[in-house]
Amino acid sequence: MAGPTHAYVKLKGKIQLPPGETVRIRHVAEMVTNSPSEAAIRDTVLHTLCKEDGKRYVVDIIQVIDALQRTQPELLVHNIGPENMIIEVLVPQRNINIVLVVFVWIVLFIGSGLAIMNFHTDVSMLEVHQRIYELVTGQKNMHPFIIQIPYSFGVGAGMILFFNHLFRKRFNDEPSPLELEMFLYQQNVDEYVLMNEAPGAKKK
Amino acid sequence: MITQLFLALVGLSGGFIVGGGIVALITVLDLIPRFVQITKTDKYLLHYQWAVILGAFFSTVFDFFSPGLNLSPVLLGIPGAFMGIFVGFLAAALTEVLNVIPILAKRIQLYEYLQHFIMALAFGKIVGSLFHWLIFLK
Repeated sequence: MAGPTHAYVKLKGKIQLPPGETVRIRHVAEMVTNSPSEAAIRDTVLHTLCKEDGKRYVVDIIQVIDALQRTQPELLVHNIGPENMIIEVLVPQRNINIVLVVFVWIVLFIGSGLAIMNFHTDVSMLEVHQRIYELVTGQKNMHPFIIQIPYSFGVGAGMILFFNHLFRKRFNDEPSPLELEMFLYQQNVDEYVLMNEAPGAKKK
Repeated sequence: MITQLFLALVGLSGGFIVGGGIVALITVLDLIPRFVQITKTDKYLLHYQWAVILGAFFSTVFDFFSPGLNLSPVLLGIPGAFMGIFVGFLAAALTEVLNVIPILAKRIQLYEYLQHFIMALAFGKIVGSLFHWLIFLK
């Protein structure tokens, strides 16, 4: 019965906590232990989030081991996961400026329209359409609208199809390229933070 | 005779490079994987590859050698729409490769509006394209 007590600790990937929250082991890690004082171990305090921590706080496994050794000196801690993780401090949502949203929307709308016009000129799309019209019907037509109007709507449909959004409705449950791109971008940011911010470092 | 042979060689070489270019463009932009992902038809990947090859081949032959088919212009609406979908796909893939939108949305913290921004791009394309054909070129 009196064998050594072990705790297997696996840090979670990334969590979000409100500012001022006391960070405990149960927040940051999953744990398996044969110690009788399991609840006390889980509640071990690591840190209290304060204003100086800024928007994120990095927890290193060493901090966890350090805290556990102080409170449970007989406990053997085994790390079976990543060595550090990020706590995102939930700052209250600032009000989104609707004017900014509308501005960005208009920039993208007009820019996208201009880009397609440039593209058509660049690849001589009109000549190609005229040629196709001539090949199929045997007649010349300076403005083959019968191709161009369906074509124009097709361009929009193709873009929506690519991003897998039809007015917020999904075709299937796989992530769209944009969601993947956002995920990869966020992952890069997190990786950078873990590499460049000392564990528990106060952000300046 | 020698000249004719040389010209044939020029044509063949040009065809090789242009064909390679088309495949390279489609590959770099991951167009076919995206179609496969949306439609969940991985089994038919090989058929899609042939669709690209045959499409390029037959339109070349059609363009160079075919006499007018004397068909009704109304029929052209169908290939017109398909051409549009392909170009829209291409444009969206290009936007995605350039990675502009995620960074923009993140920077100005407007992630919830991402969908609206995509719609802005798509509608901008439709309106821009219609404007180009119906007004700009008139």
